[in-house]
Amino acid sequence: MQMDNTGKIEVMIQCSHVEKTFFTRMTSTPVIRDLDLKVRKNEFVVLFGPGQCGKTTVLNVMAGLETATSGTVTVNGKEVSTPGPDRGFVYQTTALFPWYTVMQNVEYGPRARGMSKKERREKAQYYIDLVGLQGFEDKFPNQLSGGMQQRVGIARAYCNEPSVLFMDEPFGHLDAQTRYLMQEEIIRIWEKEKRTVVFVTNNIEEAVYLADRVVVLTNCPTSVKKEYQIDLPRPRNYTDDRFLELRTEIQSIVDKTL
Amino acid sequence: MMRKILKNEWTVKIGSAVIALAAFCMLWQAVTVFTGMGDFLPGPAETFAEFFRRFVKPYGKAVLPMHMWSSLRRILIGYTVASAVAIVLGIVMGTYRIADAIVMPLFNIIRPIPPVAWIPLAILWFGIGDASKYFLVFLATFLSVLQNAYAGARSADPVLVGAARMLGANDGFIFRTITLPCAVPYIFSGLQNGLTAAWGQVVASEMIRSSAGVGWIIIRGMDNNDILQELVGILTIGIIGFILAASMRGVEAKLCRWTTRGK
Ligand SMILES: Nc1ncnc2c1ncn2[C@@H]1O[C@H](COP(=O)(O)OP(=O)(O)OP(=O)(O)O)[C@@H](O)[C@H]1O
Ligand SMILES: [Mg+2]
Repeated sequence: MQMDNTGKIEVMIQCSHVEKTFFTRMTSTPVIRDLDLKVRKNEFVVLFGPGQCGKTTVLNVMAGLETATSGTVTVNGKEVSTPGPDRGFVYQTTALFPWYTVMQNVEYGPRARGMSKKERREKAQYYIDLVGLQGFEDKFPNQLSGGMQQRVGIARAYCNEPSVLFMDEPFGHLDAQTRYLMQEEIIRIWEKEKRTVVFVTNNIEEAVYLADRVVVLTNCPTSVKKEYQIDLPRPRNYTDDRFLELRTEIQSIVDKTL
Repeated sequence: MMRKILKNEWTVKIGSAVIALAAFCMLWQAVTVFTGMGDFLPGPAETFAEFFRRFVKPYGKAVLPMHMWSSLRRILIGYTVASAVAIVLGIVMGTYRIADAIVMPLFNIIRPIPPVAWIPLAILWFGIGDASKYFLVFLATFLSVLQNAYAGARSADPVLVGAARMLGANDGFIFRTITLPCAVPYIFSGLQNGLTAAWGQVVASEMIRSSAGVGWIIIRGMDNNDILQELVGILTIGIIGFILAASMRGVEAKLCRWTTRGK
């Protein structure tokens, strides 16, 4: 647990009474209801909830891609209202720029912020190496496998050196084997380059494997149902007794959906 | 391994194209030999021989390559100017609501009018020389390219725009790095359609009023009851059209290595 020099816990993300309702001309759909959440610096938090409960919306509001109907989100003490490079986002659909190579995708953030070519290339190369894509710098996204595309997405988000990273089911589209591998990889990367991570999943095993803390969300309109501190040492084992116990316990309180 | 498959694919493609062409020529030959059509339809050998002979023997005042050049020059000027204007205007319309609101209604009225309908007016306004042809080619190209550039500028995926914004890009940077690349495949499809339309327009306007060009060759052939000349004109139009379209695809493949459309 990270303390600042006064010995208090350093809060990186704070959501207070966040509400989000989507309005159309005829209808209003409440998706988030009174959500409170605190994330500590360098903590790996997993938001776990049933399908369509509003997980993506929660992440979008925290990232500034959507604005909350009421309530506030602060990141690093600053209130969030628009997207910005102090936060990184890894998408379920990868959302890579198809006309750019791996290198150009990864260096996009520093380039947008006006960093010199030499400097940003160096930085991008560091993160490309970190995610294990050396040798693929000049490939286009459509020449890569799903797992490799997600690695590019992770490197691209990291390359801006944001203080927090949001990941929206980044492994949701991968086959089971690749998914296990990427779960190991994301922990390896995170342990090397510690950041505050908010990771969304609807896969209980993934949640327990990755998280310092699992936050279980209710059905739509969503809010926090319960939190679990995962005290297992890393690297974790999916078949460990305590792992299975936690898994069963969390599974039992999750709202059921069709 | 990859190269081998590619090579085979090309062999298959070119092989089948050659076979299809040969079959077509044989059918053509058969029709001229075994039916009464022979009187109105010179055979393929005769047509191709005449095509090459006309590289030295003039039609009217000029040899065939000079006629080709007359038509091509009209296309190149009208087409280039129209494409440039239409791409810029289309992107502006796709980006700014107000430009869209002003230009779109006009465009919607002009678009359904087939460009050939403008030929008589063009001659009245710009004379029977090249100016009227530039105008007509401009019009045909413009309509097709504008529509596609407009659609392209609006095609930017909002998720990608959000991702760019999240990475710290401002509006200008997003326009250059997201909106424009998204529009490129659309623009090329417009340029391709525009080229077909422009080529058709040039031939049509030459057939109505001109003193040189491939359209002129055909219409003069008709006046003189020279079927062979008409066929050579048609063959020339086909060959040039094919080359123009193929070179456009080549440029697109170079510029859009990342799309499958460009392959
Ligand atoms: N832009 C929008 N306009 C209207 N309704 C929306 C919008 N975005 C989301 N919703 C509603 O919010 C609900 C939750 O959406 P959201 O994508 O946040 O859920 P999710 O938990 O991420 O779903 P999934 O498990 O499929 O990823 C959806 O059922 C949808 O009806
Ligand atoms: Mg989602």
